[in-house]
Amino acid sequence: MTTAILEARGLTKRYDGRAVVDQLDLTCTQGSVLGLLGANGAGKTTTLRMLYGFVPPDAGVINYAGRRFDQHRSEVKRGIGVCTQDDSLEYDLTVEQNLLVYASYFRPRVDNLERRVAELLERFGLAPYARQSPQVLSGGFVRRLLIARSIVHTPTILFLDEPTTGLDPSARLDVWELIDSLRAEGLAIVLTTHYMDEAERLSDDLLVIHEGRGIARGEPHRVIDDVLGDHVVIVPRNEPAREEIAAWLRSRGAHEVATVLGELRVPVSKEDLVALTARYADATWQVRPPNLDDLFIALARRNGRFE
Amino acid sequence: MSALRLLLAAGDWRSWAVFRRNTLVFARHWRTAVIPPAMEPVIFFLAFGLGFSGFIDDFAYRGIDINYATYVAAGLIAYTGFGTPYYEALYSAYFRMFYQKTWDGILSTQVELPNVVWGEILWAAARGMVNISIVALTVAVFGAMGLVDVRPQFLLFMPFLGFIAGCAFASFALIFTAIVPAIDHMNYPVFLIGWPLSLVSNTFFPIEPESPALWALMQLNPIYHLAECARGLLVLGDPGPHLLGLVGSSVIWLVPSTLLAVRLTRRRVLGH
Repeated sequence: MTTAILEARGLTKRYDGRAVVDQLDLTCTQGSVLGLLGANGAGKTTTLRMLYGFVPPDAGVINYAGRRFDQHRSEVKRGIGVCTQDDSLEYDLTVEQNLLVYASYFRPRVDNLERRVAELLERFGLAPYARQSPQVLSGGFVRRLLIARSIVHTPTILFLDEPTTGLDPSARLDVWELIDSLRAEGLAIVLTTHYMDEAERLSDDLLVIHEGRGIARGEPHRVIDDVLGDHVVIVPRNEPAREEIAAWLRSRGAHEVATVLGELRVPVSKEDLVALTARYADATWQVRPPNLDDLFIALARRNGRFE
Repeated sequence: MSALRLLLAAGDWRSWAVFRRNTLVFARHWRTAVIPPAMEPVIFFLAFGLGFSGFIDDFAYRGIDINYATYVAAGLIAYTGFGTPYYEALYSAYFRMFYQKTWDGILSTQVELPNVVWGEILWAAARGMVNISIVALTVAVFGAMGLVDVRPQFLLFMPFLGFIAGCAFASFALIFTAIVPAIDHMNYPVFLIGWPLSLVSNTFFPIEPESPALWALMQLNPIYHLAECARGLLVLGDPGPHLLGLVGSSVIWLVPSTLLAVRLTRRRVLGH
């Protein structure tokens, strides 16, 4: 049985009377990655900030390994690692000093700190830059250093807020490998991302947040099925019956009709797919399994941020 | 967090961890961090103290005739004790908070916001000690040359007096750091508050207000007490009532300023 490192129940945050996070429940277990997914403004970052103690929730309870966060704040924070989106590295210090200084913000002190720092520098490929300023690092290596820094005190849970935003594909893959290896070592990881492939590949569990509420949760494929259904029909922009097909699907209850670069993308059920095949056998269209891109577009449309 | 716990956070290891971080960064480029800013009061001393001395007759200070350079030497120590922590807590702290996101990184650890504020206050006051030491050394050299008439052994106390007042000035500055929308707006606390305040505090010229209200206001001004305390020690070896005034007025500034700075910084940095 896996151990729950983080359990939050009824998490709520209001700003100006509006619930930004509303009665959210979530759990993250040892050696697993919980992906938080949602459109901009869905409440992901506020959720994360409540979980690692930046903002207090207005309601709800957060427990770390059975201990209430609000009652054992300092002890609990000793076991939390945070890697925010913003680059908060110390550019006046060396790469190695960044790790040493960050470790000094924790008590009890990190055992064998010098050795721990040396291990991290080696493991994250930062050893050649140890005595240099982070200014010499590429974007990918800056991200590596940020992640290394966030685990220098050997936390049991790590929060990663959009860890690969702005990285090139190769650097993204490197970060994925690191995250995967941290999970394999038993670290619980809570991850937010805008990259659908990242959420799909890295997350053991997904929590889809929409207007502050959790609207779907579970394994990535199951979450997609819950929100979107079984298939996605794609009708190209040059198909003459495109609008007719869209109207027909809408009449059958398909509400998530999205237009991407002129092509229609419509999540449909098995039954609708069978009916579509019978009715529009001569039209040009494709069908594929839904992915997180479809989910994201659907959420963004519901949020009024994508037309 | 209660006000008392918030004030006691000054002694918390986490506040001193922030202090050590700032010390380490300072040590990396201490030459550029110390020499140019510390030269300002030295140049002031040369220009005004020694320059004006030739035009101003000796005058009585608490029953002893002193020259203007001697008067200004203590004033510059007070000016440095005010200016260094005040500007450190305005500009440098703003850079750490806003541009470098240093505080965001620190706050993702066991360190809490009151610790960051205290770390900045203690650090800014310590920076004041460093610069006061340089000014004191300069005064000692001019004393040895016979240009000022001071008791050099009392110069050793100056950095410590400056530290007390420096905590008050830094906490006051952090209020503005928390509220200015952009760094350009620092001109308001610098030119409308800091600069005038440093001039009307018996630093460069004596002020003896006849109005009881103005007199009472001066008693609440730590720069005034720092200048008079330093002057009393350097000229007479006796700070008079100003040592008590320095401690009292500094505490009167420090406590509400720190509480307000924490509150405003929390709103700015953490959004609540």
